[in-house]
Amino acid sequence: MIEIGVQTKNIVNDDYPEKGFAMLGRAGFTCADFSLNGYLSNTSLYRFELNSFFDQSVTELESFFAPHKKAAGSAGIRINQMHMPYPSYILNAPKSVNDYLMHTVAPKSLKICAFFGCRHIVMHGFKLARLLGREELEWRETEKFIEELAPFAKELGITICMENVYSGVGSHIIEGPCCDARLAAERIDRMNERFGAEIMGFCLDTGHANLIGIDMEGFITTLGKRLKALHIHDNDGIGDLHQIPFTFTRNRENVSTTDWDGFIRGLRKISFDGVLSFETAPVLTAFPGVMKQDVLRFIAQIGSYFAGEIAS
Amino acid sequence: MMNIVCVPTGLIDLEHPQKGIETISESGFDSILFDMAACCPPDELEKMGKPGGRIDDSRYPAGLAESIAPLLKQCLERKMHISIVRAPRLFRNTKRCDLTDVLSDLAKECIKICARAGCRQLIVSPVFAGVPHGTEWDVNRKYYLGLVNIARENDVTILLESQFRDMNGHLIRGICMDVNETAAWIDRLNRDAGEERFGFCMDIGVCTICGQGVQELTMTLNSRIKAVILRDCDGQHDTSMLPFTCINYGHLQTDWTGLILGLRENCYDGSLIIDFGSNTMTYSHLLRPQMLRMAKMTADYFRWQIAIKAVIKKYDKRVLFGAGNMCRNYMKCYGREFPPLFTCDNDENRWGGQIEGLEIRPPEALRELEQDCVIFICNIYYGEIEKQLRQMKIRNPVAYFSDEYMPPRYFNGIEGKSVTKND
Repeated sequence: MIEIGVQTKNIVNDDYPEKGFAMLGRAGFTCADFSLNGYLSNTSLYRFELNSFFDQSVTELESFFAPHKKAAGSAGIRINQMHMPYPSYILNAPKSVNDYLMHTVAPKSLKICAFFGCRHIVMHGFKLARLLGREELEWRETEKFIEELAPFAKELGITICMENVYSGVGSHIIEGPCCDARLAAERIDRMNERFGAEIMGFCLDTGHANLIGIDMEGFITTLGKRLKALHIHDNDGIGDLHQIPFTFTRNRENVSTTDWDGFIRGLRKISFDGVLSFETAPVLTAFPGVMKQDVLRFIAQIGSYFAGEIAS
Repeated sequence: MMNIVCVPTGLIDLEHPQKGIETISESGFDSILFDMAACCPPDELEKMGKPGGRIDDSRYPAGLAESIAPLLKQCLERKMHISIVRAPRLFRNTKRCDLTDVLSDLAKECIKICARAGCRQLIVSPVFAGVPHGTEWDVNRKYYLGLVNIARENDVTILLESQFRDMNGHLIRGICMDVNETAAWIDRLNRDAGEERFGFCMDIGVCTICGQGVQELTMTLNSRIKAVILRDCDGQHDTSMLPFTCINYGHLQTDWTGLILGLRENCYDGSLIIDFGSNTMTYSHLLRPQMLRMAKMTADYFRWQIAIKAVIKKYDKRVLFGAGNMCRNYMKCYGREFPPLFTCDNDENRWGGQIEGLEIRPPEALRELEQDCVIFICNIYYGEIEKQLRQMKIRNPVAYFSDEYMPPRYFNGIEGKSVTKND
């Protein structure tokens, strides 16, 4: 049965996690995408700045997240997916920073994921294609990173889900790592066969797909059962806005410019039975705070609509 | 040698083409792409067989040749070569699913027109209207193979092109946008045709709008690319601006670096089609000649940048002139694959020294070169240095190197192992 989820960013806080999870439950969600990336932000990492959060031992980290886990359980929310801090590799950063990301942040992220009983962790591939000239060379470097994590992932029963992400030329967005479904499928199969477990899967980000005009139906059907996680959100085709689906139009007919029908058809074709997870944290800062519960309920209703269409 | 082709949108009056052809010719172009949509526009196709069509249906396809007869005559007189023709096509958001046969007939007529014009390439868009998801190849295979015999008889190569999908005003990826699939299509069509009868026309504007990785696309399609359309746009709207003119907050929107490096790596030698129709449509006719000259210079610049590796490769022996950063960049990027014998410099303080392991000699050393050794000028004072060489009575071939678009060479991989493009 398809479930509905949303990322915890801007909803669940560390001081009173029970409040945020309860809000999710009231809105109609049964799942959550735990925003682990919030504990080591991408903006800091791009400045080569680390913090001490992941210096904590696994026991300390588990202790830190114990209230979150308890609160989720009490609210009837299952953590179905988690976002690993990203980027996983920073070009031109000191070796110590990249080593820390690979040997400390990534394995501890997996441990936290397992602590929550979560099966899927979302990861971004390295953005090196422009430097190396070929996507294949870029993937080789990402694969080395995954190879390091694969034994842990296998041991913990976790699937590392590669996400389609974007890159940039000037101020214009272009395709980044994992934007070719066929290649992704081949690589996932190869790695899973090699490690004898489902250590790799895929996370489709609908907003990123829309930014580069990906054919959603074709992308999803090519991935098939390898599609383990979703980041559902919408944008204007220009910027990565993470807004509510069906928000953007461009012509007088006022019909959505994102291919939601293709998205539904694709998921229906592959008999998707995972979690329709929304990555819409910016919506919650855009609307007045007092409307947060209503906004979350609306997002959950859109999820229910998708679920109904996919199952029909 | 890459063929530079001008898209004459807004420049040629089909009934009185003399002035337009003259203007294009005076700007230095000797070759044009002719888009048959000028004779058979999408809005007319949309009305075909329905009341209200402006042009009598009987004009298509046979009437096409008649429509461009004055243009062909002028081109012949002015020695302006129509090197590429583009077949008529439907609106992207057309609801007419019944016109595949009409499009096929139009394409066949275009092939005959190509033959009359001495043109060897015809761009034919894939069929998309009403084609169900998953059946694109079957439908288009039949469509394209239906053109093979007449294309063979007239020695015309059919160029496929990418097709947008109009998602309520947002242009997204349609047919021939998956690079590996497109490569497979072309290979299979050529196999079925029993010869290389199909290729690809790469449109950088389409790549920009759909955020495609240009270098990856270029290197994957490689020799299947027979023509490249150079045009700029804002990344959202399907406009054709002069390259390097679409800027947002000081940043280019088009990945010219990826395009140049990809085509350079492929040693591309097909057509370079410069399309700046959106500019010419809005510029005063008094300013158009200057714009055309600028366009020609821009196309020449692309040809030079793209051809750099092919030119280096062409000569077995080479020396450099200049011992500065450009020389250093040559050595970093091409030094291992194409090592020069030495470099020289006018600065006598540098003589006897080395740069990137390359000996620096005085220009006089160039007199001892074998005749077939090329001299690459690695200094932006190209004209002055070439003049100096000719005044020294040095008759060796001279070429200009540039490090404006250089492939990144060294990357310490995550395990500290050096990774380069050639590893």
